Amino acid sequence: MSALRMPRVATVQFKPWKTKGWGRVAFLVVTSVLMLVPMYLLVVSAFKSQQDILAHPFSLSPDQLTTEYLRKAATNPDFNILKGYAVTILFVVSVNVLSVALAGPVSYVIARRSERRYRMLLLLFVAGTFIPSQVLVIPVVYTLKFLGLMGTIPGFVLFETTLTLPFSIFLYAGYIMTIPASLDEAAAVDGAGKHRVFWSIVFPLMKPAVVTMVILNTFSVWNDFVNPQIILGPGSGLYTVTTGVYAAVSQYSTDYTVVFPTLLLAVAPLLVVFVLLQRHVISGLTAGATKG
Amino acid sequence: MVGPALALFVVMLVVPVGLSLYLSLTDWDGYSANPAFVGLKNYVNLTHSAEAIRAGWVTLLIAAVGTVLLSVFGLGFALLVNGASRLNAFFRIVLFYPHVLSALVVGFLWSAVLGTSGVVNGWLTSKGAEVLPFLSDPKWALASLIAVLVWAGFGVNVVLYLAGLQTVSKDLLEAARIDGATTRQTFFNVTLPALAPVVTVNLVLSLVTLLKTYDLVVSLTGGGPAGSTQTAAYLILWDSFHNNALGFGSAQSVVLMVITAGLALTVARLRARADQGVQA
Amino acid sequence: MARSARKPGRKLGLLTSVVILVGAAGCGGGFSDDKGAAGDSTGEVRMLVNITPNLTKSYWEGLVKPFEDANPGVDVKIEAPTGSGVKDTLPQLLAAGNAPDVVETLMADKVLAPQMLDLTDQAWTKDTPLVEQASLDGKVYTVGVGQQAQSLVFYNKDAFAKAGISAPPKDLDELTAAMGKLKAAGYLPLQTAGDYVTGLQLLQLSDPSIATKHPDWYQQINSKQAKVGETMLPLLERYQSWIKNGYVDKNALGLKDVGAQTNFLSGKAGMYVMGSWFVRTADDAKPTFDLGVFAAPTEKGQPSPGPQGVTMAAPYMVLKSTKQRDLSVKLVQWLVTDKTAVQSQLAQDGNFRKGYTEKLSPLGKQVQDILDQAPKQVAQGEGYGANTLPQGFNGEWNKAVQSLYTGKSAKDVAARIDSWMGSKS
Repeated sequence: MSALRMPRVATVQFKPWKTKGWGRVAFLVVTSVLMLVPMYLLVVSAFKSQQDILAHPFSLSPDQLTTEYLRKAATNPDFNILKGYAVTILFVVSVNVLSVALAGPVSYVIARRSERRYRMLLLLFVAGTFIPSQVLVIPVVYTLKFLGLMGTIPGFVLFETTLTLPFSIFLYAGYIMTIPASLDEAAAVDGAGKHRVFWSIVFPLMKPAVVTMVILNTFSVWNDFVNPQIILGPGSGLYTVTTGVYAAVSQYSTDYTVVFPTLLLAVAPLLVVFVLLQRHVISGLTAGATKG
Repeated sequence: MVGPALALFVVMLVVPVGLSLYLSLTDWDGYSANPAFVGLKNYVNLTHSAEAIRAGWVTLLIAAVGTVLLSVFGLGFALLVNGASRLNAFFRIVLFYPHVLSALVVGFLWSAVLGTSGVVNGWLTSKGAEVLPFLSDPKWALASLIAVLVWAGFGVNVVLYLAGLQTVSKDLLEAARIDGATTRQTFFNVTLPALAPVVTVNLVLSLVTLLKTYDLVVSLTGGGPAGSTQTAAYLILWDSFHNNALGFGSAQSVVLMVITAGLALTVARLRARADQGVQA
Repeated sequence: MARSARKPGRKLGLLTSVVILVGAAGCGGGFSDDKGAAGDSTGEVRMLVNITPNLTKSYWEGLVKPFEDANPGVDVKIEAPTGSGVKDTLPQLLAAGNAPDVVETLMADKVLAPQMLDLTDQAWTKDTPLVEQASLDGKVYTVGVGQQAQSLVFYNKDAFAKAGISAPPKDLDELTAAMGKLKAAGYLPLQTAGDYVTGLQLLQLSDPSIATKHPDWYQQINSKQAKVGETMLPLLERYQSWIKNGYVDKNALGLKDVGAQTNFLSGKAGMYVMGSWFVRTADDAKPTFDLGVFAAPTEKGQPSPGPQGVTMAAPYMVLKSTKQRDLSVKLVQWLVTDKTAVQSQLAQDGNFRKGYTEKLSPLGKQVQDILDQAPKQVAQGEGYGANTLPQGFNGEWNKAVQSLYTGKSAKDVAARIDSWMGSKS
């Protein structure tokens, strides 16, 4: 009976049989093309004039290309790109650490206890995602003002962390439910308290879920444009990469000679980081720490 | 263990929602110092508003179709790119990267591809064919919106399912293989049941995310043609800021929240039995 | 299945927080709490502006530099909107206590006026364009740089020649006939688009004939003596016939404004209805064909040319909550009266003003002539000052007109807009 519930080990799901191997790769290649078309557009357009972008979006004629707009976007005097990256990284790290520290224990409790009120608690947290964030902006502003947290880093980090809680808790709870409770019980028998059981036994087994959430949270904090602008405000002198580069345009601008190079600058580092992170993600997702 | 997260959550999210609830009972225009209390007038107006009702149906359609597609593609591709090879890593990045772009960028890029004078139609007209009304016909526009939403979002589901696939017991899979089970049998009898909680997570989160669709509507269709792709969130923001009717907009938010809660709860309830089968 | 009660403590805590907040919001001075101040003679002045392809951030910064140079120690900070435009962003900033000192783009209406500074006693406002038309109950809140002509039809002269049209149409029947000729010659007769363009173009086209037939149109609508849909019905029916005859692209709704402009400027369409800001875009694009412009025609039998729809270019307002009142007023005064600043803004966005005609391009001069020859200048759509329709009219009208493309009849559209207007009273 315990054979059915052994700790997970990563594995290749199906052995890629010789005949299916190429079919699968071919299908994925076709899919990749479909996926990458807009990316191609994005990169190519960063080097074109407005008319060229509109009239010939796909063309790639070297004589029409220019680095002028990209250079202009990169050397915006209002915006020190290095400082922007530093600030953004600070926020990303703080939010991720706080999010795991808060969401982890709650998810553990929810996953392990079957009483009704813990289902309700989960629903309450998930309910946090039910309203679009743009709709919440003004009420949140008044709330933060009331608490004296408007325009402060702690206020911003706390709010962004709150936004990550619903998704995190939901995912972690679901994940923990697949980790056998027998492990907890064994540790508890050895005299470990709830906190110890969670952090030293369960948490290490949650790596794939945690890695997933860190990736998703990083992107949402990085790309968040409205909240830093409104909460931190122009007066604070702090800007993230996106608010900094977007300061030159509104998000909805139709001046594509500014939008595309700007976007490329804002997005490229994320992509690079993601590609690099992929190496760790691979080991995190597929190696899966084994315990016991 | 529950305390800190709950406290933060209540203060930062529940309270603003409460404020939103209060605003829905006023006729606030977003500016004046003292909004007047009007009771349930906004909600009554909502029931008469053909625009709001249509936006509601559009949103529900997007959420229903999108949720299914996201999980089908999410799980399907997760199965295809599971494994530690370099090739798989590359494909994973390709499938996921749209999530890195903001919805506004995605919308613009796809409107450049699908628009009346976009790439696809440009090619079609150069071959003498008729223009396809991807963004100019109401039904097509809605389909395009859903398609782009799925394109941009399924990478997240792939990642979630990938994480979930790691929890499927290798021994069980081995046992099935030894028993001579086909791929399909293994999938439906071993993998899928083991993935039950992950499926629930995906369904609920996709549902809730899609019910909030806003940014892509702005950049891909502008709510058009003729307002036929306006979602609930889009209309809420439009009424709140362009029509200076924040009270009315708040009432719509509250209704959206209640409907979302109802749907999420229903889905979770329906999945409860499958999830329990997995618990140790 | 009944839900069992949550832990009483939690529920109580929730309730308490909500009550506290509502109490604080309700009692503590309401939703606006900033009182303004006169401020110093140096320091920062924040201006929220709309960023467009013509009016880029670096343009704005260059525009205000002479003001900064003339006032040492003063820094004018240009801010772009966080929402989809200034209109979305301003309430958020006000709520956050981060409102700018000066705001551009918006004009005072009964919602905004209480937040804005009353400039009536400032003598320099007297000669600014459209200042009286934009005033509310005799009070001046908004001042602008120039005028935008709205009811203009830009046309491809070469296409007209090829289609055998000898002179620009003087009335709407001639316009429809011209479209037929253009179609026969292989052009798209009228370039339309989705986005906000659909409704706007019809409003622009309608100004001359509506204003001639109903000189007090706004007053009649607001006093319920006439209905919007009913008065617009003839034009809506005409537009519907254009769709049916293929004079406009039935897939036009899939185009954004920039796409439509590109299409027209590349010579594929015969005509494009747009406001005078298009002059700047057209001049920059240097089309390969001969580009002209004529005033939107009136109905057959009405005098021609008819009244011209006119709106204020670059409206500015000062926020009541500003802590730098004196500097802000000084900045706005400079922006709308300083010759160099005015000239720059007019040229950058293709706008017009009495006494500033020397630097106009040939196309610009044609528009100036149209403005000069118009017997009257009238407001358009949501309007301004004493001539307004309920907030949101432009958006609703746009959606309604778009439904002509998706199968609704002109009567449906008229009924729809009238029903919306009815719900707003």
